[in-house]
Amino acid sequence: MNEHAAYVELRNINKHFKDFHATRDVNIAIPRGQLAALLGPSGSGKTTILRMIAGLEQPDSGEILIGGRVVNNVPGSERGIGFVFQNYALFRYMTVFDNIAFGLRVKKAPETAIRERVTELLGLIGCSGLENRYPSQLSGGQRQRVAFARALAPNPQILLLDEPFAAIDAKVRLELRTWLREMITRLHITSIFVTHDQDEAIEVADEIIVTNKGRVEQTGSPQELYSHPSTPFVARFIGNSIPVKDYTRFRYFERFGPQTEAVLRPEFIGIFKKGEKLQYASSAEEGVVEDIIFRGSSLEIRVRLHDNLLSAIRSVNDPAIHVGEKVDVFIYRLFIIDGGRVTLAHNQSLKKESVVI
Amino acid sequence: MEPQTNSGPLKWTLITASAVFLSVFLLLPLAYIVATALRQGMDAYLAAITDKYTCKAAWLTIQATLWAVAVNTVFGIAAAWCLTKFAFRGKKIISTCIDLPVTVSPIIAGLIYLLTFGRQSFLYPYLDSWNIKIIFAVPGIVLATIFVTFPFISRELLPVLTAQGTDEEEAAALMGAGAFTIFRKVTLPHIKWALLYGVVLCTARAMGEFGAVSVLSGHLWGKTNTLPLYIELLYQGYDFTGAFAASSLLVVMAIIILALRLWLERRGSKELDIRK
Ligand SMILES: Nc1ncnc2c1ncn2[C@@H]1O[C@H](COP(=O)(O)OP(=O)(O)OP(=O)(O)O)[C@@H](O)[C@H]1O
Ligand SMILES: [Mg+2]
Repeated sequence: MNEHAAYVELRNINKHFKDFHATRDVNIAIPRGQLAALLGPSGSGKTTILRMIAGLEQPDSGEILIGGRVVNNVPGSERGIGFVFQNYALFRYMTVFDNIAFGLRVKKAPETAIRERVTELLGLIGCSGLENRYPSQLSGGQRQRVAFARALAPNPQILLLDEPFAAIDAKVRLELRTWLREMITRLHITSIFVTHDQDEAIEVADEIIVTNKGRVEQTGSPQELYSHPSTPFVARFIGNSIPVKDYTRFRYFERFGPQTEAVLRPEFIGIFKKGEKLQYASSAEEGVVEDIIFRGSSLEIRVRLHDNLLSAIRSVNDPAIHVGEKVDVFIYRLFIIDGGRVTLAHNQSLKKESVVI
Repeated sequence: MEPQTNSGPLKWTLITASAVFLSVFLLLPLAYIVATALRQGMDAYLAAITDKYTCKAAWLTIQATLWAVAVNTVFGIAAAWCLTKFAFRGKKIISTCIDLPVTVSPIIAGLIYLLTFGRQSFLYPYLDSWNIKIIFAVPGIVLATIFVTFPFISRELLPVLTAQGTDEEEAAALMGAGAFTIFRKVTLPHIKWALLYGVVLCTARAMGEFGAVSVLSGHLWGKTNTLPLYIELLYQGYDFTGAFAASSLLVVMAIIILALRLWLERRGSKELDIRK
């Protein structure tokens, strides 16, 4: 990794809360202008990492660098950081205007400049006309935008967002994350946001940092994490993973190492009606459909194969399948969990036939 | 939830019980105070409440109350603030100590000061050489009043500050606000009503304090008698008009405080509605 490209960098960061090791040897490097996501299950230490970058917590060991400068001893207010809190933490006894103006007033900016900046930001977040409301008089989405504007008002170099969409209902959340993505790209501000929603991370972030039990499991682009998980945790965590105890029972998957555990994803599995045209018909295995879940644009088919309940996606346009029906199941590939490593294995018949053709 | 409306007998029984209870234990004695105070006529009453010693006692009560409120506001805020905004060792101990004054009898509180600052204390020679008089003097009365009213303000603030959490303060601090700005702009608006309410409670308690003050006062006429002590003296001297007239003064003060309290509760809950 290019050292100088990193704008925010954490080196060997450790943090304890009493006896609890909340952050373990964390190394992170985020280039200027990037939008990175800290993704991990609840309690994995995402907020703790964010708070250490903001100077709200002190690491026990390790260095935090911003723009190449070690900032461990620089107070948070001098790190050029805007912070959007998990529940926004808007000043509830101040109007929207005063909330956004707060950081500028603290810096003793002239009142005319403050008015100008606040008006500009209100326009940016699409909340013009709401400046005299109190936070309690705003919708969740509006609060989120005001929190965003308040963090941006003093022109920070870095924007940190802790679960910015957690408290917002699903539909607005979708809109907001597209909006946030656009805002951040437009402002070109280095941003890190925390989430435990992988769809959110995959859709919004340039780079995802997966955390688990205080460690960073893997860092990479959404595509990388998706197609090359480097640890069993990531393989299981990203995507709709289906655990399988013994993959050697599937045809055309050869034993690879001592362990037989594997992880499948719905998109690794093809389900075909008997008699449906299928290129690898001879290599498919027979399974029984146990459940069909309507997902709107697609169907999720749950099929039992060698004691494993597998989920696959089928288009609503494909010939209908019914519960109890015997179907052909073809597994294209799977992730073999081999100790601490993950190996992608392809169905051997694919190779053979491609050789034949 | 809608209150139940069709349980007539139960409702009326309870209302009657409450009304009777209030009449017997509150209104009757209050009326009796007024009646007794006025028994020898309006002139005697006016003479009694404008009496030099009554005025002095009332003034001392007000003084002690003001001191107690001022000191406890500062320490109450400080204690509640540090208990809710910081994590540190010994938090539990401080929290428990705050409640001490309401758990020990006021007499004991008085005795503690008597022993600490009285003649038998090792501090006494120093205080004496500096010419500081605490026991049987106004400072002792103020100290005792402060002690017994200590928890009132911090106890009101603690739940409010706990509920608020530290996010808003952290947000302000991250934007570079200093501790005082944060307190004034972020914390104070939040605790304002609770604080005022605490002040009201503290005032009410300070005005009525008898036990601890009684131990430390020495009952010097016109010097260390607060209203409650003075009332007791008058009463024991069979000056019923005087005693009840002075009592009526206390009652008037209490009613003012009650009205304030009502008003604060109204305002406070209204504001909470808007800003929740
Ligand atoms: N101030 C604290 N004192 C003690 N333990 C803490 C403190 N802050 C966090 N922890 C612990 O550290 C661990 C990581 O917490 P953190 O808040 O960073 O998790 P998170 O990944 O943000 O989780 P979530 O998704 O639920 O917000 C948790 O087990 C938590 O209990
Ligand atoms: Mg968190």
